[in-house]
Amino acid sequence: MRNIRFWLTLLLCGVLWISVSSCFNSSPAYISTNKTRNIHLIVKMNKGDYWNTVKLGADAAAKEFNVKLTFKAPDSESDIDEQVGMVEDSIKEKADVIILAASSYMGLAQVVDQAAYYKIPVISVDAEVGSARVQAYVGSNGYEAGQKSAERLIQLLQGYGEIGIINFTNSSLNVAPDSSGSIDYGARDADEREKGFLNYAARYPNVKVVQIAYTSSSTVEAEALTREMLKKHPNLRGIATLNEIASQGAAKVIQSLSLDNIKMVAFDSSPSMMESLQDGTVQATVIQNPFSNGYLAVKYAVEALEGVAIPERVDTGTKLIDLENMLWPENQKLLFPFVR
Amino acid sequence: MTKPKGTFFPLRPQSRKRGKIRLSSKLRSIQLIITLTFTAVTVAVAVIVSIMLYGKFANTAEENANLNMQQIIEQVNYNLELYVKGMGSIFATAEKQITTSQSIDSPLLYERMDTLMSSREDLVSVAVFTPQGKYVVGTPGQSMRLNTQLESQSWFTTAKRTSEISYSAPHIQNLFKGRYTWVVSISKMIQYRENGELKTGVLLLDFNFRTIDELSRQVKLGKRGYAYILDPLGNIVYHPQQQLIYAGLKYENVEPVLEYAFRSYLDESTGEKRFITVRTLAQTGWKIVGVAYYDEIVTTKRDLNQFLSWFLAVVLVCVIAVSVFLSWLIASPIRKLERTVKQVGEGDLNTPINVSGAYEVEQLSKRFNMMLQRIRQLMDQIIYEQETKRKGELEVLQSQINPHFLYNTLNSVIRLAERGKTDEVVTMIQSLSKFFRISLSKGKNIITIQEELDHIRHYLVIQSFRFKNKFRYEITAQDEVLQYQTVKLILQPIVENALYHGIEMMPDEGLISISAELKDGLIIITVSDNGLGMSKETMNVILSGGVKSGSGSGVGVRNVHERIGLYYGREYGLTFQSEIEEGTIVTIVFPARLAGEGMEEQKEETNR
Repeated sequence: MRNIRFWLTLLLCGVLWISVSSCFNSSPAYISTNKTRNIHLIVKMNKGDYWNTVKLGADAAAKEFNVKLTFKAPDSESDIDEQVGMVEDSIKEKADVIILAASSYMGLAQVVDQAAYYKIPVISVDAEVGSARVQAYVGSNGYEAGQKSAERLIQLLQGYGEIGIINFTNSSLNVAPDSSGSIDYGARDADEREKGFLNYAARYPNVKVVQIAYTSSSTVEAEALTREMLKKHPNLRGIATLNEIASQGAAKVIQSLSLDNIKMVAFDSSPSMMESLQDGTVQATVIQNPFSNGYLAVKYAVEALEGVAIPERVDTGTKLIDLENMLWPENQKLLFPFVR
Repeated sequence: MTKPKGTFFPLRPQSRKRGKIRLSSKLRSIQLIITLTFTAVTVAVAVIVSIMLYGKFANTAEENANLNMQQIIEQVNYNLELYVKGMGSIFATAEKQITTSQSIDSPLLYERMDTLMSSREDLVSVAVFTPQGKYVVGTPGQSMRLNTQLESQSWFTTAKRTSEISYSAPHIQNLFKGRYTWVVSISKMIQYRENGELKTGVLLLDFNFRTIDELSRQVKLGKRGYAYILDPLGNIVYHPQQQLIYAGLKYENVEPVLEYAFRSYLDESTGEKRFITVRTLAQTGWKIVGVAYYDEIVTTKRDLNQFLSWFLAVVLVCVIAVSVFLSWLIASPIRKLERTVKQVGEGDLNTPINVSGAYEVEQLSKRFNMMLQRIRQLMDQIIYEQETKRKGELEVLQSQINPHFLYNTLNSVIRLAERGKTDEVVTMIQSLSKFFRISLSKGKNIITIQEELDHIRHYLVIQSFRFKNKFRYEITAQDEVLQYQTVKLILQPIVENALYHGIEMMPDEGLISISAELKDGLIIITVSDNGLGMSKETMNVILSGGVKSGSGSGVGVRNVHERIGLYYGREYGLTFQSEIEEGTIVTIVFPARLAGEGMEEQKEETNR
């Protein structure tokens, strides 16, 4: 009879061993890549080097963490409604995570809340969105970027002169910018950059920001705005552009008119901007880290799914690039995507 | 007192009484024991074997993966070497074309360079610069940018410093308008002619990453493993996740790589265990670094683990199934046997047991059948013996009222009375009455030896009147023998026999002596006469009932022998010793028993 107990115990031990050993082996030291995740990346616009690089980064992370990445973007940064529709679609398609670069801080708040209601985590990238349900923000500090831009431009102008700003906005043609009232439908990053710039410039009594023009993500429009601004303010000494499209448009005008006396500090690092930097049209550009933004957004999305605690805010940093430092090895790596 | 009818065997007796630490009877069943034991043993063996196999396989897998990785890296190294050699030879071709050309600006040279460009997809640009950094000639013929800062670029400075061909670190080629490309530059100071004048310049060849990328991308070291290339200074020439490295999101621990040209080691700097294999390219000093994730090598291990877990589960299920079946196979005939035996136990002796199954069980069932048969035989025998006993007793009883004996005796009494021999008549009648009283003895079959001896004495007294003193008799017995018990009326037939066959025909006076003694727990009674004796043949048949005395009580000696046998056992009874003309000695042997000493006959008697 003791025999039976002995064997029973042994049997139990065996079963225990199997279960314990199988448990031990499945504890992942890294993000588990066994499962394919559906992550939807919705950015502001489907063109432009900046967003391509964001996508590149996201793709790199997707490949690394076995993510099925669905990339969505409207044709224009000002198309809030379409972006809202895309988020709604992603909710319907039961995305595991939605990564969103919101075109409008408030315009997408509601749909983000809706995603949260359906238990889909939302991570905002590049531009914040006005919802408390967002799990994390990955991007640069727009305010700081604006200050950097202002600092350099004022330095270039030796502390005096008229400055024009070309910013971007969602304010589509049907909504007049000044009639937006109390609700701010602007993109958060644009606002922050502008605020940063203006606050810095306010320290210099001799510096005057004479005009702020808003473009809705079209180079042609930016060009037109620049020309208009130059015409309106003949004493303009400096131009600050606060996103890639605006920068490209303004640079094109300055180059074509050979306005050597106008200093310009641009935003973002498209190859054409580098070109402008190198030929002296543009004196400096504030760059973000779009690749890191895309990569980290996806990475944190996966970590959020894994149940890892992720930081609420990830600052991927900004940098001021000029002719002198553009070829420094560490900046080469930032400025020029390593494209195959 | 009455037992349940037909229960011959006290089945299921003690087991209930000593149930101390016993498991319930279910747990003690053969089936369960076999199942558990079998399962446990098999699982234990499977587990042990699995562990051993696991260790062995895991080791082999690790070694193989390591070896595999080294081979792959070796292969990449070889291919890259070929590629770099190719680059060198293209550079040599370009150099030769330029130095041999009559003039640097000749259309022929330009055409040749163009051909060279188009022959290689990965060749981005060919250009010659003056030592001051002025652009001389180049293809494709784009215009130079402003602010190129080429004087400070490494390919330019190194070329000016050494006469060797130099390979630059990967960098952005910012010289020509229209694009920014990541390239590896090869440069060297060369001689060229311009307008018949011999000049020195720097020849630059830019290669993009296409081929390097392709070569390195082929490297598959597991799912996540990869290879990267380092230049001798530790700059990353190529990395599949170059962008991540540049963005500072990835980090390669290059320091240990730079220390050695050729090695493999385990690296844990990124928090994960990784196998690193390093090979160095001869011409450029580039290092090919293979990175394999340990846990992927261990994937084999994990797969193995998973497989083994499944294997064990399957084994467990199979073993349980097999052992349940097996134990059922073994246990079920036994159970059937048990059921049948139970049935037999309940009294149905005619139940045949035909249990097939294991050899042992079959044997058991056969033996049981045989036992059953024997039991049936014995029961028949018991019935027969009981009948015989009754018959013998009846015969004895009948003999007690044998009219012939009574007639003879009464005749003798009449004759004595006629002759007025009153005393003798009294003696005779007294003896006769005592004789009958003992014969009857209240119907008991067992009497004391004292009574038996009295009985035979009275018989002899009666017979001695009949035979007119033709014989004498003597009865001797030890005193202690007298209270022992005996089956009654065993002496009369023997004495009768002696009288009628031994003494009656004798011319001389006969002597019958009877003695009883106790010896080694046995009662030995001898009846000897000095009569005619008998032949061997007669002796042999006398106990099998072949001889029956025509006169006398009609109860044969055989009857006595059988009765003793029935009461005391077959080994007891009568023995004869006889010589013709010498006489006969009959010895009766049976165990000595006192009254109430387990004579089952008596018990049975009282039961009735």
